[in-house]
Amino acid sequence: MTGTATAPTYETACARIEAIIARLDSGEAGLRETLELCQEGRRLVEFCATELEAVGQGLEELKLDELVARLEAGRSPAAT
Amino acid sequence: MSELGDRPAGIPGSELTGPWPVGDYAARLRARLREFTHVQVFGEVFGFKAGRAKVWFELRDSGGALPCSMWRREWDALGIEELAEGTQVVAAGGCDYYAGSRTSSPAFSFSVTDVRVAGEGDLLAQLERLRRALHAEGLCEPQKRLPRPALPKTIGVVTGETGKARDDVLAGLRRRGWAGRLVWAFAPVQDRHAAPAITRALQDLAACEEVEVVIVARGGGSLADLFAFCDETLCRTVAMLRVPVVSSVGHHTDRTLLDDVAAVACSTPTHAAEAAVPVQRDEAYAALGAAAVRLERQSRRAIVERARALARLSRAPAHHVARHRTRLHQHLRELRASARRGVAEGERAAGERAAALGRKAQAAELGRTRGAARARADAAALGRGGATALERRRRDLDRLAVALAAHDPQQTLERGYALVEDAAGEPVTTVAVAAAQPALTLRLRDGRVRVRPDPAVISEEP
Repeated sequence: MTGTATAPTYETACARIEAIIARLDSGEAGLRETLELCQEGRRLVEFCATELEAVGQGLEELKLDELVARLEAGRSPAAT
Repeated sequence: MSELGDRPAGIPGSELTGPWPVGDYAARLRARLREFTHVQVFGEVFGFKAGRAKVWFELRDSGGALPCSMWRREWDALGIEELAEGTQVVAAGGCDYYAGSRTSSPAFSFSVTDVRVAGEGDLLAQLERLRRALHAEGLCEPQKRLPRPALPKTIGVVTGETGKARDDVLAGLRRRGWAGRLVWAFAPVQDRHAAPAITRALQDLAACEEVEVVIVARGGGSLADLFAFCDETLCRTVAMLRVPVVSSVGHHTDRTLLDDVAAVACSTPTHAAEAAVPVQRDEAYAALGAAAVRLERQSRRAIVERARALARLSRAPAHHVARHRTRLHQHLRELRASARRGVAEGERAAGERAAALGRKAQAAELGRTRGAARARADAAALGRGGATALERRRRDLDRLAVALAAHDPQQTLERGYALVEDAAGEPVTTVAVAAAQPALTLRLRDGRVRVRPDPAVISEEP
């Protein structure tokens, strides 16, 4: 469960998925552990897919001062 | 002097001294050259080579050239990494000559004992000093220890607004399939205002929490153009930033101090963009899909395999019973078949025996009939034979009776003869026996008479 207790990053999630699959492929996990690992793996796959989606919605180009201004205005930047 | 004994004759008519062994002459030449005054010369460096013991280069200018060499330890002590082509240097030293030998070539060189880089070389020397200082202070390491996100959502880029580097960065990001948020921090990249502007842009980008990685990109240029990226303040600022910086400044042959302190140094802005986004999005999607499939497969397999095992276990007793039932049924069928075969066999054998008995009964009846007939015939024959035999026997008996009567002593007695017997009734046939008997019995036809022999009249007939 390392790397998943706190907010995961894409790379930690990918590493954890690989570790889970390696563990499952080893055939050493019992039924309960297998089901828990699969459940955790599904969550991580969904997380990674969300991360990939987040950088695939369309390139958003901002100038630095625009970003700063919008951050200072406290609202989310919009696409230019 | 070593080969005086083998010295050949000189050239006839020549007024010059000698001939001298060339080794002697080379040694004296070396001694003479070393007597030359040591001086400083300056020129442009070409063909710099560093060997294990020495470094070599040529100093050239429009008027001529001088081959130079320097002991490697003295060169290393200067702290100059390498002399680029054309670098203006001042070299101190004096003439030297390697006399060579039978197996090595002679060589003249200006033996350098000190070097000072001049002109652009001065700039490089300054940079090298600053580089060493930054390394010594450990400022080249912090950026490299920063975690770099594999899939940043927001990337900051510091570059010239009109430069080609901007398009290269976009091309690199497109190649990764990355389409997140890109924050441009445009700054001059080649004048004296460049370094402070770049430093400020980097600080501003790092101040935005959303920015996860920063690219500093600039195309190629002269060393003077790239000097802004060797600014000490800029380098120290980058070393302390919280976000990793990917640098791509100049051509791959140039290495600015920013490249040293940055987390990653790339040869082109396109590569810098790819380094900022290590994940190729399409490939990552495919890998993620494959991982999801494997997870589902493992999950399904874990359940299905165990369910199958349970089903096997639960079916085992029923299978056991069914197997035994089948075996019993089989035995029952075999028993029935065997019984049917036995009965049929018995019936067949009984039939055969009945048939045999019938045949025997018929034969017995036939025998009985024949026996009866034969008995009847035998009885008839016996009857016939009996009568005949009886008659015959009667006749024989009569004949025998006649014969017997003929031999009967009584018949003889009837004819007047007497039978003499002793006291025991045995016939007495001799005189001697009769003489010995005290008394004799005479059997006559009608009875017995006891008599006593008279020894006086007893005599034997001759």
